[in-house]
Amino acid sequence: MAKHKQILLKNIREEGQHLLEKAESRGAYKVIRKALEMDPLKIIDEVKNSGLRGRGGAGFPTGLKWSFVPRDTGKPVYLINNADESEPGTFKDRLLLENDPHLVIEGMLCAAWALQSEWSCIYIRGEYAYPYTRVQAAIDECYEKGYLGENIFGTNFTHHMVVHRGAGAYICGEETALLNSLEGKKGQPRLKPPFPAVAGYYACPTVINNVESLSNIPFIIENGGEAYKSIGVENSAGTKLVSASGHINKPGIYEIEMGYPLMDFIEDECGGVRDGHNLLAVIPGGSSVPVMRAEECKGVNLDYDSMKNAGSSLGCAGFMVMDDSTDVVEAVLNLSHFYSHESCGQCTPCREGGHWIEKIFRRIAEGNGMPGDLKLIESLCNQIGGHTICAFGDTMVLPYRSFIQKFEKEFKERISNVLKGVEHERVPMDFQSELVSIGSAH
Amino acid sequence: MAEELVTLTIDEQEVQVPKGTNLIEAAKQLGTEVPYYCYHPHLSVPGNCRMCQLEVEGAPKLMVGCHTQAQDGMKVRTQRTSQAVKDAQASTLEMILINHPLDCTVCDQAGHCKLQDYHYEYNAKPSRFLEQKEHKPKAVPLGETVMLDAERCIACTRCVRFCDEVTETGEIGLVNRGDRVTIAVKEGHELSNALSGTVVDLCPVGALTHKKWRFNTRIWYTKSTDAICPGCSTGCNVKVYERDGQVVQVKARLNEDVNKEWLCDEGRYGFGRFLPELRITEALTCESGQPVPCDYTEALKGLSSLSSPKTLVLLSPQLFVEEYALLTALKEKALANASFVVAYRERELSDVEKILVSPDYAANYKGALFAGLPEAADEKALEDKYTRALGQLKVGAFDQVLLLGDHALAPVDIDDKEIQEALGKAHTVGALSHLGSALLSSVDVVLPAQTILEQSGLLINRGDRLQYSSASVPAVKGALPIWRIIGDISKQLGSEIVSARSDRDLTLSYLGAEKRLEGLTIAQVKKGGVCIKTYSPQSAGADVKDPSDEVRA
Repeated sequence: MAKHKQILLKNIREEGQHLLEKAESRGAYKVIRKALEMDPLKIIDEVKNSGLRGRGGAGFPTGLKWSFVPRDTGKPVYLINNADESEPGTFKDRLLLENDPHLVIEGMLCAAWALQSEWSCIYIRGEYAYPYTRVQAAIDECYEKGYLGENIFGTNFTHHMVVHRGAGAYICGEETALLNSLEGKKGQPRLKPPFPAVAGYYACPTVINNVESLSNIPFIIENGGEAYKSIGVENSAGTKLVSASGHINKPGIYEIEMGYPLMDFIEDECGGVRDGHNLLAVIPGGSSVPVMRAEECKGVNLDYDSMKNAGSSLGCAGFMVMDDSTDVVEAVLNLSHFYSHESCGQCTPCREGGHWIEKIFRRIAEGNGMPGDLKLIESLCNQIGGHTICAFGDTMVLPYRSFIQKFEKEFKERISNVLKGVEHERVPMDFQSELVSIGSAH
Repeated sequence: MAEELVTLTIDEQEVQVPKGTNLIEAAKQLGTEVPYYCYHPHLSVPGNCRMCQLEVEGAPKLMVGCHTQAQDGMKVRTQRTSQAVKDAQASTLEMILINHPLDCTVCDQAGHCKLQDYHYEYNAKPSRFLEQKEHKPKAVPLGETVMLDAERCIACTRCVRFCDEVTETGEIGLVNRGDRVTIAVKEGHELSNALSGTVVDLCPVGALTHKKWRFNTRIWYTKSTDAICPGCSTGCNVKVYERDGQVVQVKARLNEDVNKEWLCDEGRYGFGRFLPELRITEALTCESGQPVPCDYTEALKGLSSLSSPKTLVLLSPQLFVEEYALLTALKEKALANASFVVAYRERELSDVEKILVSPDYAANYKGALFAGLPEAADEKALEDKYTRALGQLKVGAFDQVLLLGDHALAPVDIDDKEIQEALGKAHTVGALSHLGSALLSSVDVVLPAQTILEQSGLLINRGDRLQYSSASVPAVKGALPIWRIIGDISKQLGSEIVSARSDRDLTLSYLGAEKRLEGLTIAQVKKGGVCIKTYSPQSAGADVKDPSDEVRA
C-alpha cells in the first residue's frame, strides 16, 4: 500500500480531536495567527499558486474564485462553507466536521481573512445531526476562547460564524439554491449571471467553498502554495478524500495523493472487491458522473485530467464500486429515482424529463420494457442536458447516458426477455419500504 | 441624457436597442416572436419555462432570451434560422405537456391558451409519453375569486411573482418539488387582495380560472373588444368578451403607461354593473312615482324650461370627451344660465388598491375638465363644486335639473333621501339607462340612454392620457347614445349642434375640430393612448392610420 501524505486526516483518529484544547495541543489555530499577519491578497496568491481546486465536485480553482470577489463595493463579503454534502456515495465532509471541526473552522478563518469577510456560515445538511452538534460545540468553544467574535487573536479582525441546518434537499448543495435557502426562500437555483462572487447572499459578494477545500487552506498557508502543488500531479494538486463504498472489502474514507492509480486504490486501499466476485463497474466521482466499466478503469489515475480523459470525472470522489452481482438496470433505476425526487421543480426539462426517465427505467426494471425505450431515454437526456437553469440537469443525464451506452447488452436483454415472455428472476425494489427499514434501523 | 444603444444581429438582421434590453424584447422590434410562458415584462425574470432559448454565437449552450441582455456585436438566432432553437422549443413543449391533463375540451382557457398556440406553432408532434401522468388537486379555491387546477399548471410562477412583487401580499407560493410542484395558498391565508383576478390573466394556461366565469362559454363564441374600464379614472385597458349581449369575461390589456397588465377585482368582476339587466328602452314620464311610457318627441317638448334660470345640469363623470365638448356648445348656445356640475367624489382606498385604483368612480372627469365643463382647477375644486351644488339643490335653489347619465349622482348620493326629495320638487329630466335606478321615482321625464359599454368614444384618465374605448356590447334597442340625447335637447332649445350619425362620426368630427388635438387620428389614440399634456401634431406618429379614421359614407 502506498504511503500518502495526510493533510486532512492527519489527526482524525486522535482522541478528543474535536475538542479545542486537544486540537490546539496538536497545532490547531497556529496557522491563523500567522495568516493574520499576512497581507490578505498574498494569501489569495498562495492559494492560487497551490493549484487547489474546489473539492465539491466542479473542481473550480479556489484561489481564482476568491479573486473574483470585488473589494471596493462597500458591501460586506460573506463566506459560506458548503457542508450540504448530499451527493450519493459521498461522506467525506462528515468525517472532518465530526472528528476535526477545528481544522474546518481554522480553514474558514484563514479564508475569511483573505476575503476580508466578517461573517461566515456553515450550511450543513439537515441529516447531519451529530456532525452539527460537534461543529456547533466547536464554534461555541471558539467564541468562549475569543477565537471568534470581535478582535480575534489580539488583532482588530472581527469574525462571526454561524451554523445553518438544511432541511433535506439535495439541490441546496448547489450554491445559488443554498443562498436562496439561507435567505429563507425556497431552495431553488438562481439564474446566472450574476454569480455569487458578485451578488450572492442578499446580493452581496459571497464565496461558497466546500468543507474539504477550506480544510486545505491552513496547510497551504503554513507550507506555501508550492509545497501543496508538489503533492499530486499537474492540474490536480494536493490530496483528495475519497469516500469508498460498494462491493469492496474495506469501504471507508481515504486520503490519497492525486494521480494515484484507480485499480491500485481498489486493490490496495479498499482491499479489492468481495471474494468470489469480479469488478463490474465503478462510479468514481459521486453519482452525477459517467459510470466506468471494469475494463475502462485500468490505467486510469485518480486525478482530474486522467478521469476526464477516461470519459468520466473525479467529481467529489464518491467512489462507488459494483461487482458482477449488480443488476445495472436496478442500479440506474435507483439513481433516477433519486434525481427525480430531488429535482427542485423549477425549470421544465428537469422537472418533467427527470421523472419521465425514471418512469421508463422503472418500466424496464419491472419487466415492461419496450423496444425504443433506450433511444427515447437517450433523446430525453439530450433534451435535458444543457437546457436547464443549473447543473443538476446537465449532470443527472451523465450516469443515465453512460449506463445505457456501456450496459446496452444488459438493458436490451432485459427488454427482449420481456418480449419473449421469459420471466425475470427478481423482486421489484420498493423504495418506500427500503426507506422505512433504514429509518427503523436507527 | 440619451439612452445608450447597442447594435446586434438577430437572424442576420441588424437591430439597435437600448442597453439592458433582453433578447425577447429585442427580437420583438424586428417583429420576431420569441415564445415564452414565465417571462413578463413587469415581473422579475425566473427563466424557468425554457421556451425562449436562443442561440447566441460564442455561448456554449442555448441562452434564455428573457435573462440575456443584448450586447454590441451579439449574433443571435431564433427559431427562424436555428435548428437547435427549434428543437429546444419542441422539446420544452413535449416536456411541459407530459403531465398536463390535456382536458382542452372542458377547459376555459381553450382557444386562448398558450399551450395550444405554441404546441401547434412550435411542436405539433404527438407525444412519446406512455407513462402514468402525475395527479394533482383540481378545483382548489385559492380565495373568493380564483380557482386552481393544479394539473394544468406549468409552474411558471407568474401568479406567485405577481403577489410577491406587485401587490406584495404574498398569499401564494410553490410547494413540493419536481413534478409534484404545486401552487398553494399559504396556511391560514387566502388569495384575497384587491387585484387578485389579475393572476388569471397572467396564467398562460388554464390552471387559474375566475370563479365567476368558469364553465361559462367557449371563448370562440364570444366577441372581444378593446375597451377602457369605466370603473375609475385610472383608465385601465381591458379586453371585454361579450356573448348574447352579456359581458362574459374581462381581461387586462397590456399598457405600459397605464395599468401594465393589471386590473382590480372591482373593475373586472364589477364590469357588468355598467350593463343593468332592467333597461329603459323608451321615454318615460313619471306620475306619482310610477313611470309611464310616452312618446320620445313628446318627452323632449317638456324640456324648454331648462333654458330658464335656476337650472342645474348634473353630469355623469363617465360621459365621453366628445359629449362634454357638445355640452360646452350647448351651454354656450342655449343654457348659459345653467350650472354645470360633474358628480365627483373621492373615496378611501386600501394599500393594495392604491397600486392601481384611483380614489373616485369618475372615469372621465378629466375629460369634463378638458372641455372646460365645469371650470375647476383640480380634483378638490371639482368635488367642492359638486357638493356645494348638492347643498344648494337640497335647499331648493334649482327649479330645473337635468341628469345626464346613470352616474350623474355619485354612488353615495343616490340614496340620499333629501336629494331625492329635492329632485322630486324640481322639474327633473334624466337621461338614464337603468330601470331599477333609485333616481327614477324623483324624475319627471326619462330619456332612454345607452350605457358607457354600448358606446365608443374618447376618455381621459387621471394621468392626462387620452384613450379610446370601443363599444363592448351591442346597444339595447330603443336606448340612445347620450350625445344624441344632448343633440335632441339642443335642437329642442333651438340650436343644432350634432350632425354625426354614429359614435365614430362624432369622434372624428371632434378630433377634426379640437385645436388642442390637431392632427390626431383614432388609430394613434388606440395605440396605447396619447398624453394630452405633451401632445403636439409633430410628436405624434402621423403615419399611424387605420380604416377607422375614414368617415364612412
